[in-house]
Amino acid sequence: MTLRPVVVTGLGIICAAGRDPDDFWRRLTTGQGGLTPVEDEAYAVFTARFAGQVPDAWLPEGGPEAALDRTARLALVAARQALGQAGLDGSDGLGGGVEAGPAPERFGIILGKCQATPDAAGRYQPMHRTADVVAERLRLGGPRIVVSTACAAGGNAVGLARDKILTGEADAVLAGGVDPLLFGTYAGFAGLQALSTGPCRPYSRSDGLNLGEGAAFLLLEPLDLALARGATPLAEVAGYGLSADAYHATAPDPTGRGGASAMRRALADAGLTADDVHYVSGHGTGTPANDAMEAKVMRLVFGERAGRVPTSSIKSFVGHTLGAAGAVEAVASVLALRHGVAPPTIGFGDVVTDLDFVPNRARKMPIDTVVSNNYAFGGNNVSLVLTRPRGPREYGDEHGGLPDREAVVTGLGPVTGAGTGIDEVAEAIAAGRDGAGRTPSLEGRTFAPRSLWRHMNRLSRMAIAASRLAWEDAGLKLPRKELDDVALVFATAAGSAESTGGFDESVAANPNKPAVLSFSNVVLNATGGAVCQTLGLRGPTTTVCNGGASASIALDCALEMIRAGKAEVVLVVAADEALRPAEGTAVPYDKGSAGPVPGSAAVAFVVESAEHCAGRGGRPYARVLGTGHAGSGPDGPEPVARSMALLPPEPPGVVLGAGTGLPEDGEEAAAVLAALAAMAEERPDGGRGLLTGSAGLTGDCRAATGAMNIALAALAVRDGVAPALTGLTAPAAGDPGRYLTRPGGLSGPVGRAVALTSAPGSVRGAVLLGAL
Amino acid sequence: MASDLATVHPEGTVFGDVGDTAVPLRFSSLSDEYRALRERAVVVDLTGHRLIEITGPAAVEFAQRVLARDVEYLTSDRCTMSLVLDDTGRVVDQVLAFGREDGVLLESSAGAGTRLCEHLRGLGEEGVRITERTDLAVIGLEGPYAWGVVGRLIDPELASLPFESVVDATWNGTDIVFARTGYTGEYGYQMIVPADAAAELWSLALEHASPAGQEALELAMLEVRQPVPRHETGEGATVVEMGANWLIDITKDAFVGREATLAAFADGGGRRVVGFTGPEGVPAPGTRVLAGGQDVGEVVYAVHSVGLDATLGLARVDRDLAAAGLDLTVGGAEVTTLTSPYVVPKSWSIPII
Repeated sequence: MTLRPVVVTGLGIICAAGRDPDDFWRRLTTGQGGLTPVEDEAYAVFTARFAGQVPDAWLPEGGPEAALDRTARLALVAARQALGQAGLDGSDGLGGGVEAGPAPERFGIILGKCQATPDAAGRYQPMHRTADVVAERLRLGGPRIVVSTACAAGGNAVGLARDKILTGEADAVLAGGVDPLLFGTYAGFAGLQALSTGPCRPYSRSDGLNLGEGAAFLLLEPLDLALARGATPLAEVAGYGLSADAYHATAPDPTGRGGASAMRRALADAGLTADDVHYVSGHGTGTPANDAMEAKVMRLVFGERAGRVPTSSIKSFVGHTLGAAGAVEAVASVLALRHGVAPPTIGFGDVVTDLDFVPNRARKMPIDTVVSNNYAFGGNNVSLVLTRPRGPREYGDEHGGLPDREAVVTGLGPVTGAGTGIDEVAEAIAAGRDGAGRTPSLEGRTFAPRSLWRHMNRLSRMAIAASRLAWEDAGLKLPRKELDDVALVFATAAGSAESTGGFDESVAANPNKPAVLSFSNVVLNATGGAVCQTLGLRGPTTTVCNGGASASIALDCALEMIRAGKAEVVLVVAADEALRPAEGTAVPYDKGSAGPVPGSAAVAFVVESAEHCAGRGGRPYARVLGTGHAGSGPDGPEPVARSMALLPPEPPGVVLGAGTGLPEDGEEAAAVLAALAAMAEERPDGGRGLLTGSAGLTGDCRAATGAMNIALAALAVRDGVAPALTGLTAPAAGDPGRYLTRPGGLSGPVGRAVALTSAPGSVRGAVLLGAL
Repeated sequence: MASDLATVHPEGTVFGDVGDTAVPLRFSSLSDEYRALRERAVVVDLTGHRLIEITGPAAVEFAQRVLARDVEYLTSDRCTMSLVLDDTGRVVDQVLAFGREDGVLLESSAGAGTRLCEHLRGLGEEGVRITERTDLAVIGLEGPYAWGVVGRLIDPELASLPFESVVDATWNGTDIVFARTGYTGEYGYQMIVPADAAAELWSLALEHASPAGQEALELAMLEVRQPVPRHETGEGATVVEMGANWLIDITKDAFVGREATLAAFADGGGRRVVGFTGPEGVPAPGTRVLAGGQDVGEVVYAVHSVGLDATLGLARVDRDLAAAGLDLTVGGAEVTTLTSPYVVPKSWSIPII
C-alpha cells in the first residue's frame, strides 16, 4: 500500500544545548555540550551533579505566560518555534495571519511526556495539562494525545502524529515532547545508581547518564497540503515502529531483540530496508545496560554492515530529557538530513570498538535516511524513520492509503468494585447491584507467576488480571510467534497512586534513600510494561494519558495499528486507582448527586481485526463502527456534540455516558439527548436510545471508567445487558424516560451502542459499536 | 539405555552408569575438561536427561500440582528449574520445566527419567497425557565463552538471551528449542533437537568447543552449589536438609510434597548441608563428621576439586554448625566449612558482546 507522504515543515527546540534549532545545530556540529553542575543547593545531597539545564534567561520574560509552570513554558517556546518555521504563527494566532493554514479543529497536538509535572504552585497537575495549555494558547482544536511511554514518548508522539494525518483526522499535528528537571526523578535515578558523576560518555565509558530538561516539537503535515500552501518540507516521516521487551521494569532486554524489532518494524512501515539507512540517532544514555544493548541492536539489524552505519548519541550534549528525548533527537535527525552532517557523540573515550559512534567530531556525509531510536523503562521501544523529502506521489483513498480494515471487540476483562470478570459484572448489572468505590477483588486466583505477582503494585495486579480475563474471554490461544506481534495499548490518567505516593514519601524522608522499586513504577507506562512482561506480548505498545478520555484514544491507537497492518490483535487496558477509596452511591446525571465516588479499577478489552477473529472462529461482541474525539477547553455541551458528530450517523439503542456525578453531567446529558432526538427523527419508528453510564456501577475510575463504558457498550450490543442508573430520580437534563433506570431495562441486544469518555477540560471521546 | 550420541563419541571415551543410563564420564582428562569449562566453553552430552511431555486439557494444572515451583503461567518462552517431590517430601528429581504452547516439557536430571516418568504416571489423571519424547535429545553448552559458541553455531541473536529464556529456533533447517540455562554458574545453554539430528549438532559444536563429560559437569555444579540430585537426595533427606529450598515455592497453594515440606520447615530440626574443603583425601559418602570430638553429621559426598586443587565436599551436619569458617574433622582429616560458591565462575566478570 502506498501511504500519503507526511512531512516535517517546522522544528522547535529548547534544551541545554540550544535555545532554538539554529543555536542547537551550531552547538551540535561544533561539539559544544550543555551539561553543567546543578546549582540548586537542594541537589548538593547527590554525588552526581551534572545535568542538562535550560538557562532561565532562555525563557521569555514577563507577560501572562511567565506565571505558567516551567513545563508549559518550555513547551510553548518550542511549539511556537515549530509553528514559526512552518509559517503558521500568524501574530494573532492560527488561521488569522495565514492563508490556507489548517483549520483549528483539524490541527492536533501529540505530546510525549514522562513525568507528572508540578503546576506553578508545585502541586501535581494532570498528565494532559501541558498539552491543554499549549493547545489553548495556540488554538489547536484537533486530536489531542498525551503519550507517556517514558523515555520513548517523544519519538512515539511523532509516530502517532503521522497516524493521525494518515487517518485523515488532522491536517497538521504539532508532535513532540517535554520534561523538566525534577528533584524526585533525580533522586530516583541516583538511587538506581544510574547517574554519571561527570558529563556522561555514551558508548565508551558508559558509567551512567545525566538528566536533562527541555522541549522539542516537529510540525507534521501531509506533503500535498504542505506544498499547496507553499511550505518547505524539511524531512519525511517515512515510518515508525514500536515494540515491547516483555522483559523487565527498568532493564532493557539484553539481547537487543526489543530494540531490533522496533527498528525492523519502522523500516517495514517506511517500505525501506536496513541497507537504506545512512545514519542512526541512538538512544545512548550512557548507562552500561543501555549502551551494551544498543550495540547488539546495531549488529542484529545491520549484520556485517553494522560497523559502517554511523550511530551517535547527543545525550552528552543535552542530557537525558526523558519524555522530550525522542523529540529532541528527531529534531537533530531532521537537521542531520538537511545539512548532510552526522552530529558526534561527544565525550567519547578511548575504546576499541567495531562500531562507528561518530566520536567527538561531527561528520559531513550524504544522509538520505535516518533512524532515530529510543528505549524506555517498562521495556517500551520506538524507532522513527526520517528521510529527505521525496516528491509527491499517488496514494490510496481518502484515508491516506490506509486500508479500511474492520475491527471487532472480542474479549472483555473488567476488574471493578462491581465484579471481576465479565460474568460477575453482568450478574451484578442484572441484579442491580453496584460497587462504587469498592476495591476490586483479586482473591481466589493468581493472574501472574507468583515470583512476579508478589513484587507488583495494586495497579499492575488489577491491569494484569483484567488483561488475562479479557484474553480468556476472547478465547485466544496464540502460538508464541503470533504473541510477538500482539499489541498492547495502556490507558491511564495517573498511573499508580500507590507507587507515586510511596516514592515521593521516601524522597521527602531522605533523597539518598529513595524507594527504587516504587520509582520504576512511577513512570506511567510501567503497568503496560508489566502486562506485556506477564503475558509475553512483544508487539507494538504505547501508553495514553489523557485522563478519563484515555481509553477511547487508546482504542483509536489500536484501530490504527490494525489498519496499518501492524497488529491483528490489540489488547487495550485501562487502569486507575483512587488515592482514598471510599464506598458510596454515585448517581450520575442526577440533580441531587452528592458528587463522584472515586474508585479503582482496571478494564481490558481485546480488539481484533475481523478477519483474524473469523479465521480462528472467535465470537465477537461488536464491530467498531467509528470513534470521534474533540479537544474541549473549558467544558460544556459543545465538545460532546462535536465528538458524537464525528461518529457515523446511525442511532444507537443505548449510550453509556461519561457522567460521574458532577454538576457538568447535565451538559453532557443535554448534548447526548439532543443528538439522540435528532437521530430519532431519521428513524421510521421514532425510537430513541437511552442514556446510562458505568460510573454508578463502579465509581469514577477515570481511564478505567472510559474503558468500562466501551466494554459495556460491547456487552449491550451482543448480550443486551447494560447498567441502569437505579438511583436517578431528578435528571439534570431531559426527563427520566430518556435514561435507562431499571435493571434489565433493555429489551434485548441493541443494534448499536455509544460509549463516551471524558477528560474534563481537555478531551471528549465517543465510540460507536454495532452488531455484526 | 545408552546415549543417543554413544556411537559418535570417540574410542577411549569413558562411559559410566548414571541411574538408568550410561553417560560419558570423561572424553579426555577431568582436569582438562574442567579447565575448558571454567575458562573457555565446552559441549556437554545431556542425552541422559529424559524429556517428558505433559499435554492435554489439564496439562498445566497437573504440572502445577507435580512441580514444586510455580509453573501456572510458564509461557512458551520461559523455562524454570524445579524439584519434583513425593508425598513424603522426598526428592524424586530436579527438572527443567519448559513452558510449551500445548503444555509443559520436563527435562529430567541425568539417568532419572525412568523414575520420574513412573512417578508422574502414578499421579496421572484425566485430561493429562504423559509422553516420553525419546525422539528428542538435549545437548548443552557451558563456559564463560559459551555465548560465542552460540553465536557461531546457532544465531548471534540468541547468545545474550536472558537466563531461563527459551526460543523456538531453526538450526540447519531443523526446528530446535533453544534455552539459556546453566548448571555451573558459567554461561549455559541447551538445545533440544530431534534425536536423529543430535549427532550432527554435536559434531558441529565440537568445531567450536571441546567436549566435557559428566564428571567435569558435576564438579563444576558442586563448586557453585547447584544440586546434583543423584548425590544429594539419598538417605531420605528433606528439601530443607538438602538446602534446596530455592527449588520449591511454598507460596503455591498446593503441590505434591508441600505439606511434608512445610512440616519439615515447622519442625526446624534435622540437619543442614554445608560445603567443606580439606587438603587431602576424598572421604566416602557417610563418613562421620566430628566437631570437637563429637559426631555432628556425615559426608554427603566429596570430590577432588580441580579449581581449588583440594578436597571439596558437602556435609550434612547439625543445623547450628552449618556455617562457614568452622574447623571440623572428617575421617581423621581436618576440614574447613565454606560459603558457596566455592569457586567464583569466570562468567560473572565476562560480558556477552
